[in-house]
Amino acid sequence: MSKKKTIRCIVAFWILIIGIFIFFLLNVAIGSVRIDISQIVKSLFSNSTDPTVSTIIWNIRLPRSVAVIILGGALALSGYLLQTFFRNPIAGPFVLGISSGAKMCVALTMVFLMSNSLKSNSLTLVVSAFVGSLISLGFVLLLTKRIKSMSMLVVCGVMIGYICSAITELVVTFASDADIVNLHNWSRGSFSGITWSNVEIMTVMVFVSFIVVLFLSKPLDAYIIGDSHASSMGVNIKALRVGIVILSSILSACIVAFAGPISFVGIAVPHLIRKLFNTNRPIIMIPASFLGGSVFCLFCDLLARNILSPTELNISTVTAVFGAPVVIIILLDKKKKTMD
Amino acid sequence: MSVFYFSTKELVVGYDNKPLIKNIDIGVNKGEILSIIGPNGAGKSTVLKSIAKQLESISGCIYLDSKDMQNISSSELSKKMAVLFTDRIKGEMMSCEEVVAAGRYPYTGRFGILSENDKKIVEETMKTVGIYDLKDSDYSKISDGQKQRVLLAKVLCQEPQIILLDEPTSFLDIRYKLEFFSVIEKMKKEKNLTVIMSLHELELAKSISDKVLCLKGEYVDRFGTVSKIFDRDYICELFGINDSLGSFALDKNIGLF
Repeated sequence: MSKKKTIRCIVAFWILIIGIFIFFLLNVAIGSVRIDISQIVKSLFSNSTDPTVSTIIWNIRLPRSVAVIILGGALALSGYLLQTFFRNPIAGPFVLGISSGAKMCVALTMVFLMSNSLKSNSLTLVVSAFVGSLISLGFVLLLTKRIKSMSMLVVCGVMIGYICSAITELVVTFASDADIVNLHNWSRGSFSGITWSNVEIMTVMVFVSFIVVLFLSKPLDAYIIGDSHASSMGVNIKALRVGIVILSSILSACIVAFAGPISFVGIAVPHLIRKLFNTNRPIIMIPASFLGGSVFCLFCDLLARNILSPTELNISTVTAVFGAPVVIIILLDKKKKTMD
Repeated sequence: MSVFYFSTKELVVGYDNKPLIKNIDIGVNKGEILSIIGPNGAGKSTVLKSIAKQLESISGCIYLDSKDMQNISSSELSKKMAVLFTDRIKGEMMSCEEVVAAGRYPYTGRFGILSENDKKIVEETMKTVGIYDLKDSDYSKISDGQKQRVLLAKVLCQEPQIILLDEPTSFLDIRYKLEFFSVIEKMKKEKNLTVIMSLHELELAKSISDKVLCLKGEYVDRFGTVSKIFDRDYICELFGINDSLGSFALDKNIGLF
């Protein structure tokens, strides 16, 4: 890498880190109850504060903000992996129907297996979301054998998403009233109600996946250039593909299990990060997409909680407003390139 | 066991277990150039892909440096054999230098970070191929002729003993063709590089190769030295040039090779 590129990367990383720091503080401070920065600091480092403020910070806002950082990062990383896998800039867990598949399996599990309390057993939910992700990704993979075009792939993904949503709706129709309330809130996507024990599980899962992905950055680097190049470099392409599928499914499963399906983060963030860093090298894109996803989701969650406060918007409403235009720009950009 | 640096024994290649070309028996010494010629669809690329282990061969053996290629691990092979095939390379948001450096893959560590030595080799190779001035250019924005030179530098960066090229110069103009082969010739002389390539340009094949493999449909038609192969009657037969086409070529003074 040239010096100019290295400097650009360092600056961009700092922008993301500072962004996370600022939005994290804002997320803890702003809400239906406003808390001064000085009070936050006091409550974090000593116990001598108002117990209500302390409860709001420790039991509600902190776990939520930490979860947003972890899940937002995981979502963007999963999007980057899928884009690399399909060599398609508009791939992502939501458009390919993977989130909807996970949602379907989680809904089935909630209604039929654990009808009493939502999120009481988050590991079960994660596992069922993972199974759902793999099922829909499997369908998409079967279809890609026949379809080569980038837009057709997305259309198929959206269709799979609709089928899964239809099944989810069907399940909801037969669910008991208490379940419906839970399911309804969750199925629209929201970071609310996340507890520290949820945070523990997602931290472990996402951290382990992240490290594994980071160790795949070298073969991914060769894979991006092309199949022939990768195999002549001694990369086991089949094993790499299986690895990407499993990792991106685990990551999307985590998000769906804890926050429901969230749209557009997976597509938009890696694209914005690619432009910001001006590179597509996995060794940079993997950590950068993660940080970018965290910043983006912190920002969107801040808006979701506060625009119509005390009513909370679901997170996809906000992410779509900022993410969908990015997708349109990517498509226009592609069109321009092919016409050149 | 063979005395050749690279050889095949009763090699049968094809797709989906359907044999396409049978009984390929060739041998190439170190520092020799072997050209594969034959009409379109004769299976030149199939042979190259099988040799590169990108396509599983149906039966027979391939020996490299007196070792059965089946017993050479893919990472070991990547330090010995480099390939430049016709697949388009995606170099989105990569500078030419980064594309060339991708050839150092077999030598870099866990995260693929280049050492000082790697950087030096990348720089030297770019200078040898004459593309050092393209170093910071965006790979996706340079011309096809320049792309092919960047890819040649990538392949040479891999420090191979043997390289496989599939129609490397088909889309290049005459100047780039000459430049390309001058580099190949130089590497052959200086590094004793062995080259196996498919070629459409018979006149180039005739002047640059040491040995020629002629493919025609299902079998190896001939294998031998240049003087044995390049005979007007034989070339006409190989490519199915009938009498009227042959006399047309003579009439207009179009050289076949």
